[in-house]
Amino acid sequence: MSFDLVLAGVGGQGVLSIAWVLDHAAHAEGWRVKQSEVHGMAQRGGAVSACVRLSRQPVASDLIATGTAALVVAVEPLEALRYTTLLRPDGALVTDVTPLVNIDHYPDQAALLQVLFGAPHLVALDATRLAQAAGTPKAQNTVVLGAASPLLPLPQAALEAQLQALFQAKGDRIVQANLRAFRIGRAASLFVHALRDAGVPGDRIAQVSSRLAFGAEPVADDTLRAWVGCLNGPQGQAAAQRLFAATALVSPTELPLPP
Amino acid sequence: MDMPADPATLADEQILLGDEAVARGAVDAGISAAYAYPGTPSTEIFQTIQDQARERGLPIRGLWSSNEKVALEEGAGVSYAGRRALVSMKHVGLNVAADPFMNLGVSGAHGGLVLVVADDPSMHSSQNEQDSRFFADFAMVPCLEPGDQQQCYDFTREAFELSERLQTPVMLRLVTRLAHSRAAVRPAPRREPGPPCWVPDPDRFTLVPAHARRAYAALVDKQPALRAWSEAHAVNRLQISGQGRPGILVSGIGWNYLVEALGEPRLAGFNVLRIGAYPLPVDRIRQLLDASSEVTVVEEGYPFIERQVAALGLLREPRIVGRLTGALPRMGELGPDAIKRCFGVPVAAALQLPGLAQVLAPRPPRLCDKCPHTDAYIALHEAIAEGAGDVRVMGDIGCYSLGALEPLRAIHSCLCMGASIGMAIGAAHAGMSPALCVIGDGTFTHSGMAPLLDAVRDNTNIKVFILDNAIVAMTGGQPAQASDEQLVELVAGLGVPRDRIRLVEPTHHKNAQTVAVIREELAHVGLSVIIARRACVTYAREIKALRRGAAA
Repeated sequence: MSFDLVLAGVGGQGVLSIAWVLDHAAHAEGWRVKQSEVHGMAQRGGAVSACVRLSRQPVASDLIATGTAALVVAVEPLEALRYTTLLRPDGALVTDVTPLVNIDHYPDQAALLQVLFGAPHLVALDATRLAQAAGTPKAQNTVVLGAASPLLPLPQAALEAQLQALFQAKGDRIVQANLRAFRIGRAASLFVHALRDAGVPGDRIAQVSSRLAFGAEPVADDTLRAWVGCLNGPQGQAAAQRLFAATALVSPTELPLPP
Repeated sequence: MDMPADPATLADEQILLGDEAVARGAVDAGISAAYAYPGTPSTEIFQTIQDQARERGLPIRGLWSSNEKVALEEGAGVSYAGRRALVSMKHVGLNVAADPFMNLGVSGAHGGLVLVVADDPSMHSSQNEQDSRFFADFAMVPCLEPGDQQQCYDFTREAFELSERLQTPVMLRLVTRLAHSRAAVRPAPRREPGPPCWVPDPDRFTLVPAHARRAYAALVDKQPALRAWSEAHAVNRLQISGQGRPGILVSGIGWNYLVEALGEPRLAGFNVLRIGAYPLPVDRIRQLLDASSEVTVVEEGYPFIERQVAALGLLREPRIVGRLTGALPRMGELGPDAIKRCFGVPVAAALQLPGLAQVLAPRPPRLCDKCPHTDAYIALHEAIAEGAGDVRVMGDIGCYSLGALEPLRAIHSCLCMGASIGMAIGAAHAGMSPALCVIGDGTFTHSGMAPLLDAVRDNTNIKVFILDNAIVAMTGGQPAQASDEQLVELVAGLGVPRDRIRLVEPTHHKNAQTVAVIREELAHVGLSVIIARRACVTYAREIKALRRGAAA
């Protein structure tokens, strides 16, 4: 049994911190771990990635082969797309949708998200704003990790324990903010998966999940059912588009009214 | 099998980078000192040694040395005094240290002396992908090439034993994907360092011709013992699956990709020789060739083994293929996909996203927001814009090398550490005016002082810009050897007249003043040094801490 994932982001976005949490959580759970990462010149605002490989057997390669990763976890949407060639055809993408524009030729954002939202197994969320709500904008990476957590072969408690270990030295406020950020991300991911299980089209889910201000508690079942009804209904596509176009984050309990 | 790991094992294990595992291995081997010059992918080795010494309260001396040559010479001194030293650098750093390295092979070591060199195939953070195994071979010293993080630890410890047993420096060769990859490592108990002691007969350390000839003869005589060590080494493992089967000769991290790409069952159909210790185990290679229909050489870096084993294709051996013949890519790092293609294993189908190619813009590294280098380049650009036509600026190595890229395009050469000043002197001698160069404070003390001394003696008409950001930023914020007033004194001490040492503060706000100063110096015929002094924004906290430390 093995599980390969790629972490992606831009230098300074905390990609290697996510890797640290995953490594230590997996090791504590008895997995063999290999994790390669990028240091040096690329860290100056360039694309940064890490390959994390978990297995019950010894792990051979430090790099992931094309078409073999189960998951890409990204802190930035363009970076999420950069590593999709490593994904299996049924692989999943978890990403923040807020672009970090530090290059002159950053692609048209609408076109970028359209390509992204075409991914068959996507968890898209606004980790940047959700982290602010959690108490520290720096926890953007932790929100994304939380959103990836239901897809990982690791228990929530093991990941949270390593988050605590990582941030312990920064004091209780930062630890609590990160735990909150993690749970917010996880709630978003559970919401997305519930809608997918109910047959809601992927692009509608992505448009909605990118605009919801998730809380640390999972979205309540009756609210979930209402969203499924709305998005699978005749006005579902229009409602998702409207919510997405409005750009504001809204509470999951505020379902769009029919126009 | 899905077996829970033994908790006792887990507690002993630590998840370490290859670099960190080397550092732990050196500390546990009982080093008394460590020296390094920062350079990706080797930097974390010395950092970890410093951390370990502090956390474990160990009396390990050492420095971020002024450059790699000095680092290796400091290590040689420790070895000469009978104690163990680890010296670490990146591959191109060994070019700087080549002089002591080649001669240390001849003089031999006394206390264990291990040189870790981290190669950078694919040039993730380097200007070439040279393979340090050639240097080990050139100097006739043994080389260990770990393939995983545990071997990084174990081989480092073994390298010290070998160094003392055969009285030779030992090279440990890493590559980026090992240096910067993590896995669980189990350390062993630490060996206490021994007391310092001089070697009884110092002749072999005094390489005047009469002694050098004897020492070189001793080095040549040592080779059979090194070969015997390599032939017997467990890492150089030969598995013959059957006469006439295809063979694979694989070294270092290449093994990992091979297992990943082919899988153990398929690999069992090949004759396989793994290599992790050099000089090459020639007898075992002979056995592999004799047993195999053809041999594919899988090695990370240059085709070092392939070139020797195939004797450039001159001998009538079984077909030997690899990076030289095009069976594997000649350039860049290997990976599981390259191995799959080489052995005809299909590369797995991947997720296809419609429209991906249209939006997938590259994101190269860039200077940070508010970086002082950007303002320095903008001012320089403005000052020379009005001048005569086609002006080229000789650049150097550091974050400011990124000034070569769009949108700044501010420097027009980047060769090796410290080259900018010498190249500007050459350009001036060739008749170019103005002849300009840009060098950082860290690179200046690494290897920029000697060429500046040349310019002083010659009063060459060059304009030297020293970008003093008070730290070695590119590699993660190591202390600069001289910045602020110390740097001014250093430049003056080399003989640059005080009135030709100009200080500017590269900010948007003071751009006009900076441009004016540059223009004044462009108008002066002769050597000028313009120091653009503004602390790095990214490592502001580290700089503050360093200044506090210096003041205390």
